[in-house]
Amino acid sequence: MRKKLSVLLLAAGLMLVAAGSVAFAQFRSGSYGSAKATGIEQLFPAPVTSDSNFSVGAYPSFPPELAEGEGRAETQSFCLMCHSTRYITMQPPLPAAVWEAEINKMIKTYGAPIPEASAKKITSYLQTHYTPETRKE
Amino acid sequence: MVTWRGNVSRRDALKFLGAAGGGLALGKWFAAPGGPAHAQERPDAKSIEAFTGPGPNPHWNSVGPYVSEPQKAPLILLTDRPVQLETPRNYFRTAFTPNDAFYVRWHLSEIPNNIDLAAWKLKMEGNVNKPLALSLSDLTTKFKPFSIAAVNQCSGNSRSRLQPRVPGGQWGNGAMGNAMWTGVRLRDLLDAAGVKDGSLQVQFQGLETGAGPSGLGSSAFLKSLEVSNSALDEAVVAYSMNGEPLPMLNGFPVRLVVPGYFATYWMKSLTWIRVLTAADENFWMKTAYRIPDTPRGNTTPEEIKAGSVKTVPIARMPVRSFLISPNGGTKVPAGFSITLRGIAFSGYGRIAKVETSDDSGKNWSAAVLGEDHGPYSFRTWEAAWTPRTPGKYTVAVRATDEKGNVQPDEPVWNPGGYLWNRVEKEEIVVGKAS
Repeated sequence: MRKKLSVLLLAAGLMLVAAGSVAFAQFRSGSYGSAKATGIEQLFPAPVTSDSNFSVGAYPSFPPELAEGEGRAETQSFCLMCHSTRYITMQPPLPAAVWEAEINKMIKTYGAPIPEASAKKITSYLQTHYTPETRKE
Repeated sequence: MVTWRGNVSRRDALKFLGAAGGGLALGKWFAAPGGPAHAQERPDAKSIEAFTGPGPNPHWNSVGPYVSEPQKAPLILLTDRPVQLETPRNYFRTAFTPNDAFYVRWHLSEIPNNIDLAAWKLKMEGNVNKPLALSLSDLTTKFKPFSIAAVNQCSGNSRSRLQPRVPGGQWGNGAMGNAMWTGVRLRDLLDAAGVKDGSLQVQFQGLETGAGPSGLGSSAFLKSLEVSNSALDEAVVAYSMNGEPLPMLNGFPVRLVVPGYFATYWMKSLTWIRVLTAADENFWMKTAYRIPDTPRGNTTPEEIKAGSVKTVPIARMPVRSFLISPNGGTKVPAGFSITLRGIAFSGYGRIAKVETSDDSGKNWSAAVLGEDHGPYSFRTWEAAWTPRTPGKYTVAVRATDEKGNVQPDEPVWNPGGYLWNRVEKEEIVVGKAS
């Protein structure tokens, strides 16, 4: 009888421990971090015409936010002639000399008609905001 | 009864118990090896990383946001004009990459939104006996169809791994895909047009142009291969991708498929096939897409600065393999039998062997290869793995192709950010199961 009681007590004790640990320890629920959800644009179906035209409509633009500062306007207007400024924000932080070489490549290799004064401003803008020492976002 | 709210950490819980524990030895239920410092808390995930660097990108994929483009599932944005999109890791569980998830890479901003197939013709011109202008229905009905499974991989795939980082598309590993391509063999088309004596190269041009002055690389994208190159014997002008029309962003209505070669030669929206009698000196051959003429295309910034590096046009893809699952995001209980899965391929022929290691490459054991879809296809592989002891495991995978090329565990560096094929590694955490 005493043995039975002690078994019962032990069982009850274990259950208590188990209950406590369920509440406090074995798992923890309801934890949510913060994250931004970005919208995904739903596609329109292809036009229902049986002619020989195959169209996908316009490709969407996703203009990035460029760092604020001197030279941003020049950077936007000249770079956008050929490509979106995602080409800037996609890059890793690049050393100042690499940015200078990139601007030179755009002018000399690709023929971008950027006047010298503007090229200097663009180079300085990129070096001010997009190097390992300066890039923040 | 205490109700735990959102962000109460386990350490806070311990503090609470320490204060209110009342002698209950509950602490041991928490006691992971190493105590509270070993807590499973992860720092709150950043919403979206805008960039990586100056160190190597630590993620499997690049870090852009997901975007929806025409005919595409949400893919990872590199750039929007021209369009460059990366395929997320989870799409590589199978040997064939779905068309709507297939990565996208254009060089110049004027890319087709609309093609009128009543007007569009594939032109065979240059040093040929009989110039041809073929409609899509000519291609599908007048020539014998030919199918081949082949991997299309961007020359700069994994560029974000390089140290020091180099400018260019900052791809993770997802600038690749495998498809069953069906179309007309390039040789059949060249034979139909009749390549004349004295021909040196075949030039490919698609509907990809840019705002730059004519004659420069910024005005048109063109690529060429030697007439005598055996890759041309295997090349296909493909009008079908995994049994469907090509998505516009992957080169509708036809693109060139050059099995084993990097994607730079796989001209999208191919419209001109031009037989040349002199070497193509255009920017995309003479200046871009060139690799150091060294083992693995490896060099250093110092050698580049010194101007001592001879370069050649990029060509075949070195052997690579990838672990796709588990992806490192899930802790595995000790003793749990899981399956490592992934893909492998080589531009030099069939995958002969895939090996995995759970000690960062000290010891290797052979994986089981999946169905063989041909020498230029992704080959799936899997390996059973039962980690017995809790801890951190660095799982590595390496492939060997039929020519005996083995993936090295050494980085590559060249200024273009090409040819990365280092052994891939993933840290997998194994926890106590009892």
